[in-house]
Amino acid sequence: MRELTGGRLLRRSIGRHRRRMAAAVILLAGHQAAEALVPVMIGVIIDRAVGTGDTLALLLWVLVLAALFTALTLCWRHGARHGVIAMEREMHQLRMEVVTRVLDPRGHRTGLRTGEVLQVATSDAEKAAAVMHAVSMAAAATTGLAVSAVSLLTIDVPLGITVLVGVPVLVAGLHLLSPLLTRRAAAAQAAAGETTALATDLVRGVRALRGIGAQASAADAYRTSSRTALRASLRAATTTGVQQGLTAAVSGLFLAAVAGFAGWLALDGRITIGELITVVGLAQFIAEPVRVLGFAGPILARARASADRLVRVLTAPPVVAPGTRTALPDTGVTLHDVGYRTLADLNLDLAPGETVGVVGYDQRDCDALLELLAGTVPAGDYRGSVSVGGVPLAELDLAASRGMVLVEQHDVALFEGTLRSNLNAGTEHPAHTVEAALAAAAAEDIVAAHPDGLDHPVTDRGSTLSGGQRQRLGLARALATGPPVLVLHEPTTAVDAVTEERIARGIAQLRGSACTLLVTASPALLAVADRVLVLDGGRITAAGTHAELSEVDERYREAVLR
Amino acid sequence: MTRELLPIASPRRTWAALWTEVRALRWLGVATLVTAIGASAGGLVAPWVLGTMVDDIAGGAGINDTAGGAGRGPVVTAAVIIAVAALGTGVLTALSSALLSRLGETVLARLRERVLDRALHLPGATLDRVGTGDLLSRVGDDVSSVTTALVTTGPQLVSALLTIGLTAGGLFALDWRLGLAGLVAAPLYVLAVRWYLPRSGPFYARERVAVGERAQAMVSSLQAGQTVRAYRLEDEHTSAVERRSRAAMDLSVGVFRLFTRLVGRLNRAEFVGLAAILASGFLLVRADLVTVGATTAAALYFHRLFNPIGAVILQFDEIQSAGASLARLVGVASLDRPRPPAVVREPEGAGLELTGVGHRYEDGPRVLSGVSVRVAPGERLAVVGASGAGKSTLAGIVAGVLDPVAGEVRVGGVPVGELDRGRHLAMLSQEVHVFSGPLVADLRLACPDADLDDVRAALSLVGAMDWVRALPEGLDTVVGESAHRLTAAQAQQVALARLVLADPTVAILDEATAEAGSAGARDLERAAVAATKGRTTVIVAHRLTQAELADRVLVLDHGQVVETGTHADLVAAGGRYAELWRSWTGAG
Repeated sequence: MRELTGGRLLRRSIGRHRRRMAAAVILLAGHQAAEALVPVMIGVIIDRAVGTGDTLALLLWVLVLAALFTALTLCWRHGARHGVIAMEREMHQLRMEVVTRVLDPRGHRTGLRTGEVLQVATSDAEKAAAVMHAVSMAAAATTGLAVSAVSLLTIDVPLGITVLVGVPVLVAGLHLLSPLLTRRAAAAQAAAGETTALATDLVRGVRALRGIGAQASAADAYRTSSRTALRASLRAATTTGVQQGLTAAVSGLFLAAVAGFAGWLALDGRITIGELITVVGLAQFIAEPVRVLGFAGPILARARASADRLVRVLTAPPVVAPGTRTALPDTGVTLHDVGYRTLADLNLDLAPGETVGVVGYDQRDCDALLELLAGTVPAGDYRGSVSVGGVPLAELDLAASRGMVLVEQHDVALFEGTLRSNLNAGTEHPAHTVEAALAAAAAEDIVAAHPDGLDHPVTDRGSTLSGGQRQRLGLARALATGPPVLVLHEPTTAVDAVTEERIARGIAQLRGSACTLLVTASPALLAVADRVLVLDGGRITAAGTHAELSEVDERYREAVLR
Repeated sequence: MTRELLPIASPRRTWAALWTEVRALRWLGVATLVTAIGASAGGLVAPWVLGTMVDDIAGGAGINDTAGGAGRGPVVTAAVIIAVAALGTGVLTALSSALLSRLGETVLARLRERVLDRALHLPGATLDRVGTGDLLSRVGDDVSSVTTALVTTGPQLVSALLTIGLTAGGLFALDWRLGLAGLVAAPLYVLAVRWYLPRSGPFYARERVAVGERAQAMVSSLQAGQTVRAYRLEDEHTSAVERRSRAAMDLSVGVFRLFTRLVGRLNRAEFVGLAAILASGFLLVRADLVTVGATTAAALYFHRLFNPIGAVILQFDEIQSAGASLARLVGVASLDRPRPPAVVREPEGAGLELTGVGHRYEDGPRVLSGVSVRVAPGERLAVVGASGAGKSTLAGIVAGVLDPVAGEVRVGGVPVGELDRGRHLAMLSQEVHVFSGPLVADLRLACPDADLDDVRAALSLVGAMDWVRALPEGLDTVVGESAHRLTAAQAQQVALARLVLADPTVAILDEATAEAGSAGARDLERAAVAATKGRTTVIVAHRLTQAELADRVLVLDHGQVVETGTHADLVAAGGRYAELWRSWTGAG
């Protein structure tokens, strides 16, 4: 397969909906042609019927007008539907391609931050699919122009040429103001956006403001920002006004010229009165397709830029290349002479069934260690070996390594659903497992607080829960999953001392003979660990029980006895 | 649990509120109306003149054989009139457009400022009941939605409505019978709208919800990618997004289908109106009641109406949703600002006294009962207890943010309700927030008059000056979610510095160092001590070292005081606190 590029992506978009697109283009072109013929028909009816008093002609031409409107409306209805369906489906397909790619278990190396990836999956997918809209719009507008051109040239060649040249020149001329207009409108939007952002920011911090009695000064700050935004909108509004005024004046002047020219010809009998009306009508009509053609350009350009960004995500290589081994002899974890980021020659042994605490003096050491254990670091990016049950992590297949080691992050992410669905996290756990996990995480009260218990709904990111509740639910989720190796990163920072104590005992009891690594500075948790390792300057510098270390090591005491 | 919502204004109230604002800008309003009418009227000149020209030419054609140079007069006149009208229309259009925006934007700016003012001054209990979600959507989405409507839809709508009105008037002015013929189309338009609106409103609402759900599913899956992978939830999340994306797509297509059917109905009305005018023109011309030119002008008038009528009808939905947002804004803006206490008394001394304080939320269980304690001026009292023991409730009551159900809180002998609370009480809550913008502006929120030296002094006191100096632009560095992000510890230092600038008599710290997580907690504790030095302080202790640093410790259990005393005394007494301390220090 040829390498995917932005241009190819757009062609592929049109290609995979080619039948609908063809139908849309043909029907919408038909619609534009019909629209162009409406003023022609008005002229014809005035000429042939109203001017002559011929009843039969009136009936005939009104019937033709009816047929024209029928064609116009049917063409638009079906053409536009085909176009929209094709575009919506393409957006959906692009969106899903991005999501599938980004959620690939092997990770993705796009170099984009989450927010940017999200932008690609939403806005860029939509803008790229808009290529279909641009194409059908442009095709239809071109047809409308062609029909108008033929009608005008049939009536009178010099007059036709005047209109056909004049209108695009006018539209282009009025476009000259557009950059200024865009700039001012963008400035106004930015200022309005800032004001709104300030408002939401102040409301988010309303409790902090109330705590220090600063509501009035915050309202003043907002008023200042609101006035700045108002001035920017007024500048934009003035430009818009000027542009609209110019458009009205210039198109009126052009109409005067066309009417004068056509009237002159009509006086001489070179064109009929109906033709005069047609010319005037068409002169007004063709501004529309010309404008549409003007719009299609920028839409295409935006689609192209978005397509490039989509390609960047869709073709990003995976981060890890998983192996194929599945079976493991035992469950110990060994890091041998590992160098990664701030870690230098780290040696760490976690025997099966052991609970080990790790206290890192530098947060970066902890983060690097957690990343390695989570299996999200490609084999080539670190030195030394990380193995589970004696098998290097890189040789394990994904299901095996993820099933083996679970890293629950400090910053717990909960998902929309129920308490139950969050605790289950994709696997049905028996009721007693969930209960035991909740008890160990001191989280029963969260379930007990609601009459619907475990079926209580959880909003996205657990936004209706407090920080402490989220943290305890995340812990319960990890404990319920019960992996052979469980890595917990600061699982109790948002709970109080009393609860922390309960949790420490709960973890020790529930994990029993399973391997647990606690990356934490909490004395309560460290106290239940079989061993505590001190991670300093990228390597292990001290080891012992929490009691031993607190007794002999001054620096350790400073770090953990908060 | 469905949350209570903030008030939403009735349509009448919304209009009344708008009218009051517009009346305040009376001359601007009048000027806008006059220019807008002028601009729309200017658009009527050209078809009229064309009609006259058609008659002149037709008349001239009858005496074609004598036509000479003189016959060209009417054509030239017509062209000149159209040109002059065009210039006038241009000027009036520019003026009316700019004035209309000025009017709308000014009214909106005043409204949004009022809304935010009321939002920030909501009483604590109301805020807890409604949550910040509703408030955020009012000051965020609703303001944006009204702004967009005002900038794009509003001016179009006003000019379209005026054009429709004036053109209809023009039709009747040409000939009343031609006007009536045009009116034949009106019922068809009305029927189309009455068919469409009841169907489209709910449909659009469902589409918006579906699009929101789709976005949410994507955000949550992508942002929590690490967790999704750790729990091997990739397939589950991909199919959840797929389901929602498909649902949103189906609704969007459905909405569009409905829309195409509306357009079909509009086309039908257009045809009927145009045919009626041409046919009656035919009859009237034959009966010699109107001229061919008048019929021409009428047909051109009607053709001119296609776009504005379409515009008005197509914007109905947007107008409805902007109207709904406006009602939600007026609802908040019409709230009363909490009144300051009738008598403001100055406290005598800085002592704090709680007598028999009890509390419950709504009809819930009692969370505090019979809490009585005296805190001497300048004393630090630490409150210790498990989650749900009532610590934060107690802090809120002391800070005057919550009104207790029973008992009383006095500062220097004066009940909290009769104090100038902003001056004497300050609380740092659990939710640390860094306000977006320059750091110095964040700090000045606490004390707008503070000069740079005051700000620097406050930062130094809490030990933040070192990292502030290292920021790219020092105090002027823009901080916050989308700019330079401060660490959790830095954010808490900023909050403490704000407290210093607010300079209260009594300070309440509610788990203010909870999220620091690592070794930095110690520095923060020192900072908290420095910030509250000399103030009467109640500190909700999360870490027991915070309690150790306090003058006295109060242990709460299930809303009741179980122990009070100094750290040393309580440890020696061997009670609940001693037990906690032992396990904490690893000595047990």
